[in-house]
Amino acid sequence: MRKHFSGPLGKSVVILGVAYLLLEFGIAYIPPLFGVDSGPIPDSVLLQYMVTVAIGILLWVSFNETLWEEFKAPLHAAMVEPRQRRTRVALIVLVPVLVGLMTFNSVRPSIAAPPSLRSIHPAPPGQIDFQGRSMELAGVENPLRSVGSPEEHYLEGRRVYYQNCLPCHGDGLAGRGHYAQGFNPGPASFQDVGTIAQLTESYVFWRVAKGGPGLPNEGAPWNSAMPAWEDFLTEDEIWSVILFMYEQAGHEPRTWEEEGEEH
Amino acid sequence: MFVLGKNEKLISVTLLATLVVVGCGGGDSSDSAGSSSAASEATVMENPVDPSTAGNISGSVAFEGSAPAMDAIDMSGEQVCADKHSTAPMLQTVVVNDNGTLSNVFVYVKEGSAIEGMQFPTPSAALLDQDGCVYTPHVMGVMVDQEITIRNSDGLLHNINASPTEQRGFNTSQPFNMETSQDFGTPEVMVPLRCDVHGWMTAFVGVVNHPYHSVSDGSGGFSLSTLPEGDYVVEAWHEQYGTQAQTVTVTAGGTTDITFTFSADMANAVVPMRTPIDPHDHPLVTDHQ
Amino acid sequence: MAIWGGVAFALSLAMMPLGLGALQEDEQLGKVTYDRWCSECHGVDGDGTGSAAGYMLPRPRDFTLAMYNIRTTASGDLPTDQDLLRAINMGAPGTAMPAWDDVLTEAEKQALVQYLKTFSRFFPLDENPVPLVLGSPTGVSEEVIAEGRGQYEAIECWKCHGDQGRGDGESAATLMDDTGFPIAAADLTENWFFNGGADVEDIYRALRTGLDGSPMPNFSDVLNAGVMTDEELWAVAHYVRSLAPEDTPGISEVVLAKLLTEGAELATSFDDQAWEEIEGTYIPLVGQIIVKPRWFDPRVDGVWVKAMHNGDDISVLVSWSDPNNSPDPLWSDWKSQVTRIMEPREAADNEIDAAPDQLVVQFPMQMPEGMERPYFLKGDSRRPVYLWEWKSDRQTALEGEARGVGTESFQDEGQDVSVKGMHSDGQWQVVFTRPLLTSDENDLDFITGEAIPMSFFAWDGDNGESGNQGSLSSWYFLLLEEPTSTKVYVAPPIAMLIAGALGFFIVRRVQKREMESFRS
Repeated sequence: MRKHFSGPLGKSVVILGVAYLLLEFGIAYIPPLFGVDSGPIPDSVLLQYMVTVAIGILLWVSFNETLWEEFKAPLHAAMVEPRQRRTRVALIVLVPVLVGLMTFNSVRPSIAAPPSLRSIHPAPPGQIDFQGRSMELAGVENPLRSVGSPEEHYLEGRRVYYQNCLPCHGDGLAGRGHYAQGFNPGPASFQDVGTIAQLTESYVFWRVAKGGPGLPNEGAPWNSAMPAWEDFLTEDEIWSVILFMYEQAGHEPRTWEEEGEEH
Repeated sequence: MFVLGKNEKLISVTLLATLVVVGCGGGDSSDSAGSSSAASEATVMENPVDPSTAGNISGSVAFEGSAPAMDAIDMSGEQVCADKHSTAPMLQTVVVNDNGTLSNVFVYVKEGSAIEGMQFPTPSAALLDQDGCVYTPHVMGVMVDQEITIRNSDGLLHNINASPTEQRGFNTSQPFNMETSQDFGTPEVMVPLRCDVHGWMTAFVGVVNHPYHSVSDGSGGFSLSTLPEGDYVVEAWHEQYGTQAQTVTVTAGGTTDITFTFSADMANAVVPMRTPIDPHDHPLVTDHQ
Repeated sequence: MAIWGGVAFALSLAMMPLGLGALQEDEQLGKVTYDRWCSECHGVDGDGTGSAAGYMLPRPRDFTLAMYNIRTTASGDLPTDQDLLRAINMGAPGTAMPAWDDVLTEAEKQALVQYLKTFSRFFPLDENPVPLVLGSPTGVSEEVIAEGRGQYEAIECWKCHGDQGRGDGESAATLMDDTGFPIAAADLTENWFFNGGADVEDIYRALRTGLDGSPMPNFSDVLNAGVMTDEELWAVAHYVRSLAPEDTPGISEVVLAKLLTEGAELATSFDDQAWEEIEGTYIPLVGQIIVKPRWFDPRVDGVWVKAMHNGDDISVLVSWSDPNNSPDPLWSDWKSQVTRIMEPREAADNEIDAAPDQLVVQFPMQMPEGMERPYFLKGDSRRPVYLWEWKSDRQTALEGEARGVGTESFQDEGQDVSVKGMHSDGQWQVVFTRPLLTSDENDLDFITGEAIPMSFFAWDGDNGESGNQGSLSSWYFLLLEEPTSTKVYVAPPIAMLIAGALGFFIVRRVQKREMESFRS
C-alpha cells in the first residue's frame, strides 16, 4: 500500500484529497477562532482553489525530467502493463461514469434562488436633504461629541436604540434581534468590524436618516428593510443613537483624517 | 475572584437566624380543634384569650344608592356548569342583598393593642369550592398558615392562580374532581385568586394572623367574637368600593354593634391590593412628524 | 464590548475599601452589566418598565415580583441561580428577550444573576430553592403519542391551546398575565417560539412547574393527588412535541410550484388531497416597523406556502396560525387592550373599526431584469408590484398594484385570480388560483423555470391589525417547475460516451506506441 503513495503521482493524489477535505470541511472553522462568523465556502470558490492546487502540483511534477517520468510511470503502466488489466478496465469504466454524473449535476433543474449582490458600503453623497433642509455630510463629525454631557447623549441614544432599532439589530448590537430572521438581507451587526467600525459617523448618519429607500440606484442590496429614520427621529436623536452604537459596541468611528489619507 | 459561596453562606446564616426567631415564637399548649397535618403534629396551642374578659363585635354592611346591575356570566361554553345553576349565574363583584345590605365584604381587626403579639391556634382547613364554575365562597378569610382545601366539584379543568403581593403565589391545575391544599404564610388583605380557563371566576382571600375576621353574609351581617376587651381598628374591604375603618371599643361580656356603609358612588375607589400596572408607565418616544 | 463594564468594574474595585468582600464586588459588576445591557427594557429598578417595554408584548420581566416563567422549581417557588442563568444564556424565544450566551462573559452573567435577585424582597432565601426531580423522558412511540392525545383531551389543554394546539382555545381570548397584560396561549405547532425551549424535556418541565406569572398552571399537584401518572404526563409532553415539526423549519428562499403530471387535477381548494404530496415552505413574518404607523405586536409570525401548477394554471396554498376568524366579538376585549397598550401609538384609531383578517401576496408587476427587485414594501414608482389580496370578510380575491405604501389600487372587475379560504382549528388556509398568463398587462405572467420574487403581508384583525399595522416578509421566490428537458436525459450519456471513447482511444494509442517502441 505504502509504495502506491510514495511516487509523485500518489503524493499528488493525496495532496489533492487533503486539500479538498480541508477546503470543504476545515476552512469554515478558522474564522470563529478569531471571533468572526463563518460558513462553508461556496462551490465555485472551492473549484477555483482546487484548480490552483492542481496547477501547483503540475508545476511541481514537471520541475525536472526525472520527476515527470516518475509521475507518468504509474499512469503509463496502468495503460500498458498486461498485469494491470483490471485497473485499466476499471479506469475506462469509472472515468466516464464520473463525467456522466458531473454532467447530470450541471444540467438537472435546480431550485436555487438567483444570486444577489451586495455592495456593502456604497459611496455616500457629499450632502443630503434631511427633513426638508440641505445638510453637508463631508467632513462632518458627530456634533454631540463636543456639546453637553456624553453620559446624557449615551442614555438618550440608548432609549432611541431600544425603542426603534432593537427588533432587528438586537440588544447585543450583533444584528440578531427577534425580527432579524424576517429580513433578507439580514440586519447589520455593529459588533462586526466591517460595519460602523470602518465608517465615519456622518456616513452612518446618512444610512440611518435615509435607510433602504435612500440607497443609491447602483447600491445593492435593494431590499434593505432599514427604514428612513428621518421620518421618525430628530437630528439630535440620530446623532445620539450613533454615539450610543459606537459606545455600546466598543468601536471608534473612523475620522475624516483617515478617510482623507485614503483618497 | 468570583466568590459565590461566600455570599450565600453569609446570607443564609443571617436568614436562618431570623427564621429561627420567627419560627419559635409559637405557642406551647394543645388544642382539640382538629387542625390538619403539620399543625396537629407540632405543639398545638390553646386560644390565649380568656372568654370571661372577652367581648364581641357584630354588625352589618349597609349599602346606599341604587344597586348596580349585575353582569350575567356567559357559561354557554361550559354546559356542565351552566346546568348547575337554576338561575342565570351572575358576576359577584357587587352583591346587594334584598334588605339593602352588601355581601362579600371582608371585615377584620386591623389593629388592636389587646391582641398584638398574641399567638392563636391555627383553625382547621377552610374550604374553597369550585362548583358550577364559580368560587364558593367568593370572598373568604383565613388565618396565616391555615390550610385552604381547594376543591374541584365540576370535574372539568379549572386552574387556581393566586397572585398575592406579600408572598409567593401559586398556579395549579385541577382537571378532574380533586382537592389541593394550599396556605398563605404572611398576612395579606387581600389575595386575589382567578381561574384563567374561565375568565369570570375570581375569588379573594383575606389572610390575617388572628381569628377576628368575617365576611358579610346574605343579610349583610358579620360578627367577630371573643375579643379581649380594648380598642380596635376594624376595617371593611370590598373589591369594588375599597376600604373603610372604624375604631371600636370592646367591653368584657358585651357586644358592640357597628355598621359600615358603602355607597354606589364609591365605585371608583382605590381597592388595596396589587395596584394594576399602567401600560404607559415608561418614557414615550416623542413624535416629531 | 466588555470595555465599558471592565473599566467601571476596575474603577469600582480600585475605589472599594479593601476587605469589603466579594458581595460588593459582584454587585458592582452585576449593576454595571445590568444598567448597560438590561435596564432599557427591564428598567433601572428592575420593575420591567424600561423605555422599550411598551414596544413589547409580553412585557419585559418585572424582577421585583420574582415571578419567573421558566424554572426547575415548583409553582410559586423562586428559581434557582441555574434557572436564572439559563434564561440569560438562552433568552426567551418568541419574545424580545435575546440569548446572551456569547455577548456577556461568564463573570458578568454570574454577577447579573445575583444582581437580579436584589430587585425582589423575596430574595435572598434562607436556603437555595430545590429543583423538582423531573426524571428523564419516557420512550416515544405512536401509542405514547396517542395516549398523550387522550390525556391532552382529558386534562383539557385545548381549553387554551386549542384542539390542534394552535393557541385558539375558547379561553385564549381572555388570558392575562399576572401584571394584567393580555397573553397569548402558546401555539404548540411552533415549538421554536417556546420561551423555555423546544424539546420534550422542556415541555414536560413547563407542565410540572407551570409558567409562573402566566395562566399556565402546574400539573405537579395533579400527580401528587394521584389522579394522573407521571407516564401520562410525559405522554402529554410527547404529544405536544409531536404537534410541531420534527426539525425547526430552515429558511428556504425558494417555493417550488410542483408541475403536475399529465391528467392530475390542479387543487383549487385547501382540502384537496393533492396538497398532501407537496412539502410546505416556511416563511417567517415580522411586524411592519418600517413606515408609520408601525406595529410591534404582530400575530402572524410565519406562513407555510405550497404551490402547484399544470402548465395552464397555478395554485398557491398559504396557511398560518390565527386563533380566530376576525372580527369576532369574543376577541373585542383583546383587541382593545392590545391596541391600547402597544407603543408607539402612531395609528389614528385602529381600535374603533372591526377589521377582518387579511393576506396579501406580492409579486413584481414585471419580471425584473437583472437582480434588482421592486422595493419589498409595495414597490415604488420605478418598479411597481402586483398584488393578490384576500380578506376574511369577502369571498373573492382582488388583483391590484402598488407603487409604494399607500398607493395600492385594486381592480374592480375582471379578476383573474380566484380564492378559497377557510378558518378551522386556529388556522387559516387560503388557496389562490390563477392562469399562468392573463390578458391584463398589469398582471405578472408566471413563466416556468424563472425564480419569481414573492412576498407576504398578513393581518389579524382582532389583534388590532389593519393598514400598515400587520406583519410582512421580505422577498422570497416562487419557482414554477419545468417539464424536465430532454437534455437532462441526453447530455450525461453523450458525455459518458465521449469520455469512454476518448479513454479507450488514449489507452489504445499508448499501447500501440509501447508495442512499436518494444519492437524497434
